[in-house]
Amino acid sequence: MESLIEQGAFWLLSGVAIVSALFVVSLKNAVHSALMLGLSLLAVAGLFGSLGADFLFAAQIMVYVSGIAVLILFVVMIAGSEDLNRTRQINDQWAAAGVVAVIVFGALWKLAGEFANMQAPGGAEPTTLGIAKLLLGDYALPFELVSVMLMAALLGAILFSRTDPGSEEGSS
Amino acid sequence: MSLCHYLAVGAALFAIGLFGVLTRRNIIGILMSVELMFNAANINLVAFNRFVHHDALVGNTIAVFNMTVAAAEIVVGLALLLAIYRQRDTIYVENFNILKG
Repeated sequence: MESLIEQGAFWLLSGVAIVSALFVVSLKNAVHSALMLGLSLLAVAGLFGSLGADFLFAAQIMVYVSGIAVLILFVVMIAGSEDLNRTRQINDQWAAAGVVAVIVFGALWKLAGEFANMQAPGGAEPTTLGIAKLLLGDYALPFELVSVMLMAALLGAILFSRTDPGSEEGSS
Repeated sequence: MSLCHYLAVGAALFAIGLFGVLTRRNIIGILMSVELMFNAANINLVAFNRFVHHDALVGNTIAVFNMTVAAAEIVVGLALLLAIYRQRDTIYVENFNILKG
């Protein structure tokens, strides 16, 4: 039997995640959108916690909430222009996009229904040691490849975002 | 909570992210929606790991990789966005027609 607290935590966290995700795609102001994205990612971190993935809970908060969400917020402040609050933020294809999203959601919902009444076996255990053993054991090669990819992303970001002293600015 | 509940949350987040990617005019909004879709995939991975393969931690490990790829993607995407913004002075995707011949 699962406790009432577990159920309450699940419904609260998933409600916060979904409602703030809806705000992310529908709010006009990009700053508010970015803040809502942070809230949604935080709720997803809580869902990881309720699934017993303690390492991912911490990594989600460190990488997503305090890394990516803050980075997006900075870029919104740099590149967000004044007319963000006045012009439309949704394009003309929103009806077709809504139909596509509803169809995808319906299909995934049907698939999720296949797994109804599947209960978690046993209690949750700490996962950090197991993940470390996998990362440096069976998954050592992907681990190294990911580090190469991170290096490439770092260099690419520096390459794209620096200002070239030789060329003039604003040429289109 | 059964596995079905977590998969439903993942499906909802994925559909919302898909809607955002398809409808946003603002490229920052598109990048944020892509992050939502990455998170939906991570929820599914961790949920299947917890409910189906309880003794192994492969799903958690793949989710860690997924998170790293998402971080790299957002860093390069934002750097490109800043470079384009500096040149074209816009963040709306319908004005991003640099590659158009």
